[in-house]
Amino acid sequence: MTSRLPLVARASQDALFRTHDATITTDHFLHAVHTMAGQLPLGDYVVNLCQDRYCFVVAFAAALLAGKITLLASDRSSDGLKALAERFGDPTALVDGTGEAKPLRSCLVAPDFVKSSGRLDIPSLPVDQVAALVFTSGSTGQPVAHTKLWGALVQRSITAGQRFGFVQERPASIVGTVPPQHMYGFETTVLLPLHAPVSSWCGSSFYPADIQLALEACPEPRVLVTTPLHIRMLLQDDAKLPAVAGFISATAPLDAALASQAEQKWKTEVSEIFGATEVGSIASRRTVQSDVWTVYPDIRLTRTGPEGSPLVEAPHARTFPLGDTLDVLSETQFRLLGRSTDFIKLGGRRESIARLNQILTAVPGVVDGVFIAPDDLETRPAARLLTFVVAPDRKPDEILAALRERIDAVFLPRRVVCVDTIPRNQVGKLTRQAQLALQESAARADTNAESIAGTFSIPADHPSLPGHFPGRPIVPGVVLLEEVFALIAGRFDGRSLKALDNVKFVAPVLPGETVTVSYRVSAPDRVAFSCRHADTLLVRGTGSFGSAPS
Amino acid sequence: MKDHLVNLAFNDTMQRPFEREIAGLIVETLRLEMSPDDIQPTQPLFGDGLGLDSIDALEIAVVISSRYGFQLKSDDERNQEIFASLRAFSDFIQQHRTQ
Repeated sequence: MTSRLPLVARASQDALFRTHDATITTDHFLHAVHTMAGQLPLGDYVVNLCQDRYCFVVAFAAALLAGKITLLASDRSSDGLKALAERFGDPTALVDGTGEAKPLRSCLVAPDFVKSSGRLDIPSLPVDQVAALVFTSGSTGQPVAHTKLWGALVQRSITAGQRFGFVQERPASIVGTVPPQHMYGFETTVLLPLHAPVSSWCGSSFYPADIQLALEACPEPRVLVTTPLHIRMLLQDDAKLPAVAGFISATAPLDAALASQAEQKWKTEVSEIFGATEVGSIASRRTVQSDVWTVYPDIRLTRTGPEGSPLVEAPHARTFPLGDTLDVLSETQFRLLGRSTDFIKLGGRRESIARLNQILTAVPGVVDGVFIAPDDLETRPAARLLTFVVAPDRKPDEILAALRERIDAVFLPRRVVCVDTIPRNQVGKLTRQAQLALQESAARADTNAESIAGTFSIPADHPSLPGHFPGRPIVPGVVLLEEVFALIAGRFDGRSLKALDNVKFVAPVLPGETVTVSYRVSAPDRVAFSCRHADTLLVRGTGSFGSAPS
Repeated sequence: MKDHLVNLAFNDTMQRPFEREIAGLIVETLRLEMSPDDIQPTQPLFGDGLGLDSIDALEIAVVISSRYGFQLKSDDERNQEIFASLRAFSDFIQQHRTQ
């Protein structure tokens, strides 16, 4: 007979979740879950797309109760959702107020806050029930699905609670800045309150002001569950936070200097969690103290042989190979080595560059293409992937739009750069040198992108000059713009600019001066122009070919 | 040639001075490879327009806070509209700035 574990192992009046308007107890939660379970459509699978943390957990628990498997889709591009539809027999998407689920059909999750509630029995579920599937991308083919059994998920919550010292006598308040559907947020902010003495914040927690208000609204001891990006932003913002007992960081390595700054500024302890989507969280460390990680109490590290790669053993889960990114020191301790070069992490999501390249070259009209991760991708928050394509018949904007449908938005470049050729070597690889050369030539191409439209000069006897101004003739702006527009029209087969978007008259133009007009296409249907005499900038502006609004 | 000016429209999509200031701040903070003049005041900032995402929003929020002395919050009901365009965003900042 299979053993079972309860949905919630908390007392009926314990606080599980909090918002600015409500404290949700075990009882409230159970009522909401039972109600939602009754509203779920038929089918073995559901896709949980709720963005509100409370809606997310109610939807997840309801699906569990109803024996349905939750698909934790991290790729929410329309192609990604379409692929899930085809693979899992058209599952329904569970959405909250902001939900957009095309092409899946959707079911709304809108739990009530029950004012008075009778005690409900706590349901229990088999330890080997499949609670969820999470996905990672392989280098080729469709995403790989990983099974999360209910028993494994409960076990993770219990050991995390032990590792971070959460005890019934002093329940902690967790404020997470991370989304509920990725493994890190799922474990620490959705599942943890069900089996450890913590409550989880379900209101907003994105901007520094939100985080401050959320922490202030929760009783001590407080724990902030976050990422290096958010820690950096909070430091930059000089955020005034109330007393926070601990910060937990994950999804990317945390720089020890950053951790130290945070510890000093907010008088707190900063820990990191190490995990992988495939196996969940497995280890932690106090960043400023050591670069050695200690696994959670129920995890063991082994090797396949003297030269073998390390394996992770965890209860209720398959043995998982961790690759050569770990330097295993003992059964319970390791250090991190360098990262595999094919994978990059952005916004907490891991993706294979090889897979992105495959998708890029499959876009119609793309003859060759490559994604490049700039060196500062993981340290500068605004950094994005670079994309170069050879696509003689298509415009960069079209390719960007095509990518937007095919890959998750976080991996999109700021813009797509078209080149004549991608300098691959004899085995078809782009060496690091070739990559840097590509990046450099693209940067140079930008600054040289101005073309000359022509020159003009306004003669001293031009009718606009007397009176503009008496004794000090200066060519009026409208006359200058006349000339500019005529020259540009000459470069665009007679099409003239229909609207001026902005213009700055930087320095006066004198009669008789030769003015050189240069221009570049700054956006679809838009031209940026500048006028110079010798090297002096006289006028700059932008205009558009489109029809002006009435 | 004179017809160009007759048909020319100084239309409502000209960048106003404060919009140019905010456009400059966005380009500088995010190190976008473009001139601030290229941000159309009425185009969407997120998704299909300028293509910013939520990580960018966070970075911009921190810079706005330090330069104009007020904090962006997720619970502001007007959030969808605030970020709808450079114009909407600049208006919002202008209304709430304390320095």
